[in-house]
Amino acid sequence: MNKHHLATHHLPATPETVHWGYFSRTLKPVLTLKSGERAVIETITHHANDDHERMIAGDKAAEEIFLWTREQKTLRRRGAGATEGPFTYGAGEGLGVHLLTGPIAIEGAEPGDVIEVRIIDAYPRPSANPAYKGRFFGSNPSANWGFQYQDLIEEPKPREVVTIYELDIGEAVVKALYSYRWTPQTDPDGIVHPTIDYPGVRVDHATIVKKEGILAGIKVPARLHFGTMGLAPAEADFVSTIPPNYTGGNMDDWRITKGARMYYPVAVPGGLFSCGDAHASQGDSELSGTAIEISLTGEFEFILHKQDRLEGTILEGLTHPLLENDDVWSVYGFSVANYLAELGPDHQYEILKRSSLDNAMRDAFRKLRRFLMTVHKLSEDEAISLMSVAADFAVTQVVDANWGVTGSIRKSIFAAR
Amino acid sequence: MNAQPFTSESYSGDAGESAWQDVLRSFGMQSLRARIGPPSHATALSRLSSAGVRLGKFSADAQTLRGLPSRAGLPLLVMPVENSTVLAFGDEQQIVPAGQLILAPRGVDWQVQFQRGLRAVVLSVPAEAFRGRKVPPLAACQPRIFDAEGLPDILARTAHATAGALDRLSEPEWEAVAQSAAELLLALSAELMTAAADPSSSRAALLQRLYATIERSIGGTDISIADIAQAEGISERYVQKLFEGTGESFSHYVRERRLQRAWHDLANPAEAAVPISEIAYRCGFADSAHFSRLFRERFGLPPRELRRREADRQTQGTMSSGQRGWPQEALVQLRSRQAKGAADTRRVVLREDGEPATAPSEAPTRHYLPVQAQHVHWGYFSRSLEPLIEIASGDIVTVETLTQHASDDPARMIEGDPGAESVFHWTRTAKAVDRRGAGPLDASVFGRGAGEGFGVHICTGPVAVCGAQPGDVLEVHILDIEPRPCRNPDFSGQVFGSSVAAWWGFHYSEFLNEPHPRETVTIYEIIADADEPYAQAIHSYRWEPQTDPFGVRHVLYDYPGVLVRPHTVTLRKNVLEGVRIPLRPHFGVIAVAPREAELVDSVPPAYFGGNLDNWRLGKGATVYLPVSVPGALLSIGDPHAVQGDGELSGTAIECSMTGTFRVTLHKKADIGGTELADLTYPLIETPENWVLTGFSHPNYLAEFGANGQSEVYAKSSLDLAMRDAFRKMRRFLMATKGLSEDEAVALMSAAVDFGITQVVDGNWGVHAILSKRLFSQGGRTAGEKGISIRPEG
Repeated sequence: MNKHHLATHHLPATPETVHWGYFSRTLKPVLTLKSGERAVIETITHHANDDHERMIAGDKAAEEIFLWTREQKTLRRRGAGATEGPFTYGAGEGLGVHLLTGPIAIEGAEPGDVIEVRIIDAYPRPSANPAYKGRFFGSNPSANWGFQYQDLIEEPKPREVVTIYELDIGEAVVKALYSYRWTPQTDPDGIVHPTIDYPGVRVDHATIVKKEGILAGIKVPARLHFGTMGLAPAEADFVSTIPPNYTGGNMDDWRITKGARMYYPVAVPGGLFSCGDAHASQGDSELSGTAIEISLTGEFEFILHKQDRLEGTILEGLTHPLLENDDVWSVYGFSVANYLAELGPDHQYEILKRSSLDNAMRDAFRKLRRFLMTVHKLSEDEAISLMSVAADFAVTQVVDANWGVTGSIRKSIFAAR
Repeated sequence: MNAQPFTSESYSGDAGESAWQDVLRSFGMQSLRARIGPPSHATALSRLSSAGVRLGKFSADAQTLRGLPSRAGLPLLVMPVENSTVLAFGDEQQIVPAGQLILAPRGVDWQVQFQRGLRAVVLSVPAEAFRGRKVPPLAACQPRIFDAEGLPDILARTAHATAGALDRLSEPEWEAVAQSAAELLLALSAELMTAAADPSSSRAALLQRLYATIERSIGGTDISIADIAQAEGISERYVQKLFEGTGESFSHYVRERRLQRAWHDLANPAEAAVPISEIAYRCGFADSAHFSRLFRERFGLPPRELRRREADRQTQGTMSSGQRGWPQEALVQLRSRQAKGAADTRRVVLREDGEPATAPSEAPTRHYLPVQAQHVHWGYFSRSLEPLIEIASGDIVTVETLTQHASDDPARMIEGDPGAESVFHWTRTAKAVDRRGAGPLDASVFGRGAGEGFGVHICTGPVAVCGAQPGDVLEVHILDIEPRPCRNPDFSGQVFGSSVAAWWGFHYSEFLNEPHPRETVTIYEIIADADEPYAQAIHSYRWEPQTDPFGVRHVLYDYPGVLVRPHTVTLRKNVLEGVRIPLRPHFGVIAVAPREAELVDSVPPAYFGGNLDNWRLGKGATVYLPVSVPGALLSIGDPHAVQGDGELSGTAIECSMTGTFRVTLHKKADIGGTELADLTYPLIETPENWVLTGFSHPNYLAEFGANGQSEVYAKSSLDLAMRDAFRKMRRFLMATKGLSEDEAVALMSAAVDFGITQVVDGNWGVHAILSKRLFSQGGRTAGEKGISIRPEG
């Protein structure tokens, strides 16, 4: 099938096209596409204010989105938490942190269908500050939700450290520029943030000490990808962007990159796709709590697969996100497969107590077994033998509350089938 | 029975729905699904006792549960958790807040509506749970809601606490708790009757008291109607009449209860040593021959047979709870006996008139170690083994290794191969390699065989390295790996391997299809000379009980090297048809001898290497191992043609292979400032990467002391292994790359990949991969994709 895309739409990041820290079935789509259409979508990293000069200054859209003074806060709600004060951290309470562009509705998408998102390309967003014109910057905080936070060996303990990186697009590598220890930051509403507990707080560089010459000589190969892509879940009106779940979201898998196709089960009419949380690079585990967070613009193609056409395809019986690229299919196991349905009304907090690789491994095993049995028509015994000898299980992330294990199987092994 | 996890995630579409209904049906319920729209979701964890008591914890989408009519038994206990529910009965609807208890009799039509998602604990107790003891006729009572006070509170707490611990309770613990919960539910159910104040229910209550009196006096050889009537202060005639109303005579009821009591005691493993005649006597049967006859008439088998079956079932239950290696109690006994030295570690056992298995080999003059009975140690590492050869640092040694799974298909992997035949030689009178595993030679723990299979890998070695001392590091570089071709003329030149989905596999606790559990062996052919070498399945078979030459029956795959007799299994052809698996030849086991114990189970990997099961340890790779005994004592085995990250089913494609290694000793004094400084774990180096090996318990022998070889199986977790891998990588980056802690953490998040090595070797593994490219000055390599900026517009 060689279906040419019908049209390419452009979705810039503006205060009107972004939502911050939550997925919601109640959001009005900012764009509606037909199956087969493409869209170029701008995203801006929620860590841009870690270095305002390099990542926001001069960039009109970023300046507007991040605008927050005593009088004015463009995007008031950040997170799925309370929107009426008094606040502990701020409106939305930072219960969810990612700045997402969207949602995009796909015409005719209904619960039970599957939406395929092909990543055609990803382009870094250049700094618009004349002092850094044409250069690309990202930030990597070692944050309080990182795997290392309670397990540090050097003083002071605990601490959060932000490392600012530059992406070299010619060499396709990322290099560290400098780092600083997080110091308490007071936001324009007067709330003090002793740790990184609310997104988009501008770091006052007068309060920090920059450390230069770090990670000297080290070049991290670039792996441009979108950490968060997914559809709106059906279970609640406002859902934190932090734990990934059955409709995708904060998957934090660097393989979700140029050339990859992601498949998501549709839970609400239109699907409501949003994306953001772009990364210049990330290792499997995203250990410190974040990747190298950067602003990227992505080009995507959307294909709607109707429920009654799934049988006999790789999407038959799909109830979770699935990745396909030239080499592999990958299923995503989570500590709790659908935490919204399984954990009851306090799911946003309960999931924090359930983080476990053991359960994520179990979930990945079950999902891959189902995939091999349903899609490749293997018996259970064949599926289990094949998983032991030819499937690779990897740690996706241990920092997003709902921890992840990826189970991958190479497509080439089925070539003769 | 073990806790059964259920999740709809395992199934496709409607199969999930019907599997969910099956779970509910086992509790005597069904779901009237009010679909809010897919994907629908359900999970449950439930457990069944031998008496039929079933407890479960459910969470699922909003739906209505309805009782399935006409199941005999106590009313179902349904306890909503977190969300309130609505109980509907007839025209009535009552809101039930979370924390209250619903008792829902099985004979009437009720519904419980979970409008905000189903989250509940459910207890189901069939009439059989009381083994013939009469339970009040409750089926037609009305459902009733109880506040959690007094008895209902005690029941609720018991059920909640048990539901939360279902997968952690041992078999005897679960049986005890299940029976208590059943008794509590029985006591509470009696209140349903007292609520209805008609004459029939007061008669039922009196009858219930009579039953209780009978229970208390069942051990007496003579219970008469007169005694019972007197105890209750009613006439004998009335007692008779009450019993007639139940359709069963007094004497028949008493005998039934006595037989049931005897059945229960006979089935109880704690009473396995009590003579059957004594059990008969305590249940009121003075004549044991008479008892045996009655018992057989009632249950269709003699008391002795019941006991044997129950003992078998118990053994299987323990096994399927998934712990390999030493059981805790056996280790305690071992300590109290103070094990003698391990002079017996490697010996050929000869019985009566047997001839010597193989003549002792001559000391090798070249560094070539052929495999044969005297050159292997099976299933264990030991600091006390006599080295086969001593080599100097920098020497090259070629080592033949055999897979312990060759016995899964002797015709393809043993026959005609003198080395393999020598190692696997086992007849009624002679067993070439007696000890297989670190267990007792007299097999006094489980009776599986010498060594008890506490450790399974055939290891060739050990090789001593001249001058190696604790604190040094041994570098083992793999120059080449060659598969071992079949020597049986029928399959001459072909290469075969076996993969077993075994009882220690990650999948074993949750099969979708019957029968479960089961063990399945898949035999593969290895096509090593293709452009892209691959493996493909030939056939598979379900493991059937195998009797070894010494007469021990192996119901499960619990002892290595038991030759599978072809006529005992049914081959399934057309397995994994058209599936070609690219090879990743490697050695699962590369070890130096650990210092902590005399005999160490070969299954759990740790600081000394061992069963690393990491496929990156193939041709061109190197592993660095910390030396902990003089001479290092290097052993190699467990060859794999290919394995995936995770080794999910318990094994790789196990295939005999020969490796050529360059072995280099790095003295402690010379390694400061290098990657090997302060090395306390197996470090793998490939041309592209450093691979650090994290374990649930990096040195389980030291951490758990004498209990290590049992505890490590019980306490493994990927979360712990991830933490270990993180700490090791941090240390590696700080110590050998000179990074600060903050730099190391940042780099790990941005560029280090953590993967799952295995979840089946007792000590689970997570590895951390650090690309050497990060530190090289070159940029992008040819062929890599560049990054473009989006053209304007």
